[in-house]
Amino acid sequence: MSKTITEQNLRLLVDALLKEGGRVVAPKLAETMTLYEPLATGQELDLTKLPRRSSKETFFPLCETILTFERDEAGVRVGDVDPASFPETVLLGARPCDAAAPSILDAVFSWDYNDEFYLERRRKTTIIGLACTTADDACFCTAVGLSPADTRGSDLFLTPLEGGGYACQAVTDKGKELMEKQAQFFSDAGSEKPLAPAEPAGEPLDLGKIKSWLDGNFENPLWTKIADLCVGCGACAFLCPACHCFDISDEGTEAKGCRRKHWDACGFGKFTNHASGHNPRDVQPQRYRNRIMHKFKYYDDKFGRTLCTGCGRCIRWCPVGIDIAAILQQVEAKVEVE
Amino acid sequence: MNNMAQKIEATTPIDTSSYASATEAIRAEAARLLTEGSVTAVIGYRSGKRAGTAMPAIVTSPEKAAELIFSPSCVNNLALYLTKAKKDIRKTGKVAIVAKGCDIKALAGLMGESQLKREEVVILAVACAGVKGSGAATGEPLTTANIARKCRECTVHTPQGADSVAGSLSTLPELAPLEAEELARLEALTPAERWSFWKKHFSRCVRCLACRQVCPFCYCEQCMCDRNRPQAVETTPRPAGNMAWHIVRAMHLSGRCASCAECERACPMDIPLNLLNRKMAQELKELYGHEAGLKPKEKGPLAEYREDDDQSFIK
Amino acid sequence: MHATKQQHDFEPKIVSFVCTWCTYAGADLAGTSRMQYPANVRVIKFPCTGRIDPVFILKAFQKGADGVLVSGCHPGDCHYMAGNFHARRRFAAFRKLLEFVGVDLARLEFSWVSAAEGGKWVEVVTGLTESIRAMGPMTEFKELKTEEHWSGQLETAELKEAYDSIP
Repeated sequence: MSKTITEQNLRLLVDALLKEGGRVVAPKLAETMTLYEPLATGQELDLTKLPRRSSKETFFPLCETILTFERDEAGVRVGDVDPASFPETVLLGARPCDAAAPSILDAVFSWDYNDEFYLERRRKTTIIGLACTTADDACFCTAVGLSPADTRGSDLFLTPLEGGGYACQAVTDKGKELMEKQAQFFSDAGSEKPLAPAEPAGEPLDLGKIKSWLDGNFENPLWTKIADLCVGCGACAFLCPACHCFDISDEGTEAKGCRRKHWDACGFGKFTNHASGHNPRDVQPQRYRNRIMHKFKYYDDKFGRTLCTGCGRCIRWCPVGIDIAAILQQVEAKVEVE
Repeated sequence: MNNMAQKIEATTPIDTSSYASATEAIRAEAARLLTEGSVTAVIGYRSGKRAGTAMPAIVTSPEKAAELIFSPSCVNNLALYLTKAKKDIRKTGKVAIVAKGCDIKALAGLMGESQLKREEVVILAVACAGVKGSGAATGEPLTTANIARKCRECTVHTPQGADSVAGSLSTLPELAPLEAEELARLEALTPAERWSFWKKHFSRCVRCLACRQVCPFCYCEQCMCDRNRPQAVETTPRPAGNMAWHIVRAMHLSGRCASCAECERACPMDIPLNLLNRKMAQELKELYGHEAGLKPKEKGPLAEYREDDDQSFIK
Repeated sequence: MHATKQQHDFEPKIVSFVCTWCTYAGADLAGTSRMQYPANVRVIKFPCTGRIDPVFILKAFQKGADGVLVSGCHPGDCHYMAGNFHARRRFAAFRKLLEFVGVDLARLEFSWVSAAEGGKWVEVVTGLTESIRAMGPMTEFKELKTEEHWSGQLETAELKEAYDSIP
């Protein structure tokens, strides 16, 4: 099913969804940057730029309470968080690199244990993707098998039209349902031509080749060479649409408090630190290796997917300029040489 | 990130023609030192894969010295790589480091704190007209609009006390001191207004700790903010813990910060962290006459005292 | 000899960090001399003002204090020679930092109270209690505690309540 929607109607659609009591998370201008945030009105929608952080926090919050506890003479009482309380959400304006991420993450959150915090949010969210018509020199979605017009992960997909407005394609039944329910905002597709998709600079990488090199090179001087520069912050992981590691902390007092789940990053020295003081990944190269291995080998081994959508955020914001696309190219070239 | 840049003077290019000769000089000096064997490594900058970008480089052979560059994208304070946090590099022996004036202040600070000895390092200073602020497009040249906010008020364009200085600068443009203006604006607000200003900024913090990890002075092997028994600061990225973290960070850097503003540059959430450092530097100058400089000081202002220090705030 | 206790709408919580050698002994003297002072002050003793980390002050505000008092030996009287001299500089800097992030400095007081100054202790504590009572509760840090990033906000009323009541 394919229709069109005007810029104005897209904003009105947001208002209509909000009026129904749902939550609309979409790119919004936050002073110096764009962020995915809940909108208060359709006027706040700003689709001009790729948001600084990915949209993963819609499903996987930066920090969330998973239980409360209270201790008195009678014992310990535990208060559960009921995922049923999570709001119905429309994630609007997710770029293909962000929209595709949850479909990759579903596997890990429903593998040996069903993480209801993630899964319930996922069930309650409809994703309206947006094709990219501009890319910068850090974008590399095409290198990892995605594209600026890729509809994977989206329920509805918007493509900007030459004369303004968007072509809107229903990708899933969920998307179709939303489109039918809000039919008054959509019109039949006309002859308007879509804007040409962006052309990210990244040449397609041979991920299979890269993986085969990773399979045999857990120990390799390359890791030290790359990670000599890494300062061990979590900027890459926290901006990444696919990084999904978390830590769990108890906060409050012994008598009363909360257990919270919050983002963590394998670049941190503390990430693998044992209570004994022993740290199995005690130097940065081992931590950086884990980042690459997890994305391009371990996740593939386990779930058959690559844990990278090529959004380029880690490249743009690495404080020391580490470029994951350049590293992958380097690895690919090694395979050719060897 | 500098969001005020638009409202000031018309955008004009800044002359960085001397960076080419600086690059040549750095390459020649690095090759000479490595050939002679007087250093085991040179820490400098090289081009990134994306056109117009630069990143730190650790060069250990004379042939590789030709990869070194200096450009308006050479933003990093490389002094970081000489600290305990990155001790692997120094294990190899004496090293040379490419340093802008602001970076040399950090080196001096580290020497003052006995983290580094002058004779352990060869300082290859660069005469620097300025580097680009975060948010500047990778391809564009240095202009009065995209120059880093710290560079607008730089007093060490051509630093003293190094082993060599690469390049020489012609006249530099007069630039409005945007950071000083912003600081004055905040100081003129009521406490409640300042609270909401910082609350808004800190609420965006994701606790990636890039501010800590790029700071040459955050070299503690065990950060007190990572401890949980007892826990000084909540580790969860919630507004409460974020506020506490940034207060503690600023306090621990008071009197030590060399104002390289790396924390602010590295912050992916655009929190103007250097305003906190700058404020503390200003207060410590007023109170105790302390200023971060190019020469190591034996003791920082909070590590010493005078019997007649001001105590007008104490009953 | 007990004056009738006046009823107030708001009793401020004040945390006082004191050194054991001077101010703690001074407060003790006030007590043994049967001097009256508001019970709003919770005294926590330290070996020296030099041991009082600025983080403690921050933590006190975070945990719900409406005011904080730091008190120790007069300059020159430090049991450890210079602990209070170092503390003086540290606190001079820290109060400027707190002021810059938006904390009203009227909520944070410093004093030198010697072991012989029971009267001064009463004066300092009474004065601070009254001025903070007049200012009302410190709400900034308390409000911050209940705030969440939008992605982790909980919608249920029960949980919100459980959650807000956590100290």
